[in-house]
Amino acid sequence: MTSKIINMAERLKDNEDRLLESMFASAPIADDGFSAMIEKNVRRRLWLRRLILPVATLVGALVSFKPLAGLVTALASLTSLLPKELLNAPQQLVPQLPMIVLGAMLLATCLLALRALED
Amino acid sequence: MTSLADNELVARAASSQDAAAFGELVRRHQSHVRNFLRKLSGDVTTADDLAQDCFMHAWDKLHTFSGRGSFIGWLLKVAYTTFLQSKRKSKRYAEILEEVGHDAEARSRTHSVQADEVTDLDRFLAVLSEEERAVMVMSYACGLSHREISEATSMPVGTVKSVIFRGKEKIRTNFDIKDHQHG
Repeated sequence: MTSKIINMAERLKDNEDRLLESMFASAPIADDGFSAMIEKNVRRRLWLRRLILPVATLVGALVSFKPLAGLVTALASLTSLLPKELLNAPQQLVPQLPMIVLGAMLLATCLLALRALED
Repeated sequence: MTSLADNELVARAASSQDAAAFGELVRRHQSHVRNFLRKLSGDVTTADDLAQDCFMHAWDKLHTFSGRGSFIGWLLKVAYTTFLQSKRKSKRYAEILEEVGHDAEARSRTHSVQADEVTDLDRFLAVLSEEERAVMVMSYACGLSHREISEATSMPVGTVKSVIFRGKEKIRTNFDIKDHQHG
């Protein structure tokens, strides 16, 4: 109710208000490709945003490949120090472990591919 | 797309990152935003550059539009913020130029309107402060309500009213507005 009264009061313009409105009025500005340019910039920004994550992942993988390979080799050499029973324990507890790991990896890949397709 | 209301286009653009929906919003409101910035900055090229920045900021912040007020009100808020930010940056740039002794360049950057291009409206706007100019343009050129101006400028409605009153008073004391035609 109060806001309606305020709006009514605003609408009650005097001659001076109408004169000011006519003085401040200006012809509409022609688009002349302005909105097309903004739309193009927006599309470019969207593409960049979509590319950043895969490119960063690729660069990260390339940069970290050598140190990671060294780490894996070092860890593999460490396993020779562990007793054999300890190494076989997870496989004995969960015999389907290799299948579970493979399944999880496939699921993650599918989810990533679906997200990329959606984009 | 042209038959959809602003709020539907905003929802579409924000939720599914639809550039075409945003393009339609730009087509609808570019004239208002560019006119507003031209009147504020007094320079066509600067205003169009600012309008570009404004629409890109609007794209980034589209999810913050609640849909309670009008979209043009929200857009003019983004435009006004963009204008103030650019003004702060160019002021700092002018100060740096002054510090290193490029006074002439610094002066030319702050006064870009040519004397022969000055219209009646430019003379009216020149007597107003920056804040008064923004509020008067939003009210009389863009047709925003006091509430919408209050949201766009983050001023209380009462302050908006007194700024408009003060602006009108200044124009009245400096010009005989009945003798002027719109410019």
